[in-house]
Amino acid sequence: MFGLWSAPAKLLRSNIRAVAILILTACFLGTGCKTSDDAAAAAAQMSATAKALSDYYTAFGTILDDTDQIYILNQQLLSKPYTAENRQLLKNNETELADRAALAADFSTMAGQFAARSGSTAPADVTASAANLETEIDSLKSVTQSTSDQNALSFALQQFVTAVKEHKERDAARAMDGFARGLTALFIHEGAVWNSVEAVHTQVAKNLAVYLVDHDGADNSALLKVALHPFGLSPAAPTGDLKAALAPLAKQQIATRTAALDDSHAEATDAMTKSPQEMSDRIHAVSEDKPMPLRMAPIQLSTVDKWATQVAENQK
Amino acid sequence: MPDVLSTVQATFLSIDSQYNLLRAVCTTQQQRDDLGNQYAEAQEAYLACIGKMLRDDDPEISALSMQLKAANAKIAQAVSGMGNMNKVIDDITTAVALGAALVGKIA
Repeated sequence: MFGLWSAPAKLLRSNIRAVAILILTACFLGTGCKTSDDAAAAAAQMSATAKALSDYYTAFGTILDDTDQIYILNQQLLSKPYTAENRQLLKNNETELADRAALAADFSTMAGQFAARSGSTAPADVTASAANLETEIDSLKSVTQSTSDQNALSFALQQFVTAVKEHKERDAARAMDGFARGLTALFIHEGAVWNSVEAVHTQVAKNLAVYLVDHDGADNSALLKVALHPFGLSPAAPTGDLKAALAPLAKQQIATRTAALDDSHAEATDAMTKSPQEMSDRIHAVSEDKPMPLRMAPIQLSTVDKWATQVAENQK
Repeated sequence: MPDVLSTVQATFLSIDSQYNLLRAVCTTQQQRDDLGNQYAEAQEAYLACIGKMLRDDDPEISALSMQLKAANAKIAQAVSGMGNMNKVIDDITTAVALGAALVGKIA
């Protein structure tokens, strides 16, 4: 069943390789070219965007891990079957996510390194940087899965260096723009899957939480803090009639938090979709010999970071 | 365009949310086993569907998807029909089978 995700994984790897070339293009645009600063900014921004993508995938690994644990609890407490085969399906998806997170992290690191090298202007420096990147590409875990992919990337790299030496900067920028748009399309395509994984997680967690409230498996005392904390007092764990009276409030809070979790994820996915689109727009401006309008990373990335942090904290 | 993933997801979540109530009114071990098997199959269809990254532009898939949506509507009313558990389990079985067929089409 490990082949289930092979097609999208290849698509992802293809896009990340494409954007790796994109970053190379952005960095080497600086070879005797007035766009050097813009190219460095583009590489740095793409590094930040790739880091956000890695965090996004890592958060989904956490969500799938939590979902796995909920299914195990469901089987133990509610006799909902969780077969070894189904668990393997979930684990396969989790493995694929981890692979994607690693890919994006590797790419972010590489983009950051080349952003730092973009000040080089001599052709010899360009060649040396290309050689260094070839070494880095060889070290990428994901790329080592396919020798043909490595060869394709190396070939593209040589083509790119040749183009830079011939000062075809605008052609390279246009190619970079196309790659960025391809990355955006990938995010949009995968958005439905991530939305589904998140929604199923929150729903099955909600169903189990409601069961636990109904069966004395939840401490509702947190609901009483608002009344007692102003007076320096802490609530005792409710029992009997008090606990029963608080149960509807606990269920209401579960429903409210479920909706909030779904909304928060939707905002993060939207931001993760818009960030590469914004990068594409900026790079397009560079390809048209116009100055890059903004030098900071896409502002939407903070929304992704906030959500990823929230997912990690929810697991504590 | 019908969304295969959302319909398979709806089947699984519908059974998951009603499982406790339905299992409580099962009168025979066979009914409980049948309900559990359908739950596992709905979960499998959903997890496999996620793994296959959907393609729902096939007309045959669209037709199956519409049938599954209709079957899901019956599952949504399952609690009100708990007096006839055999009928409820039949409805769930129909939906789960359609979901499995749908996922198979996008393999």
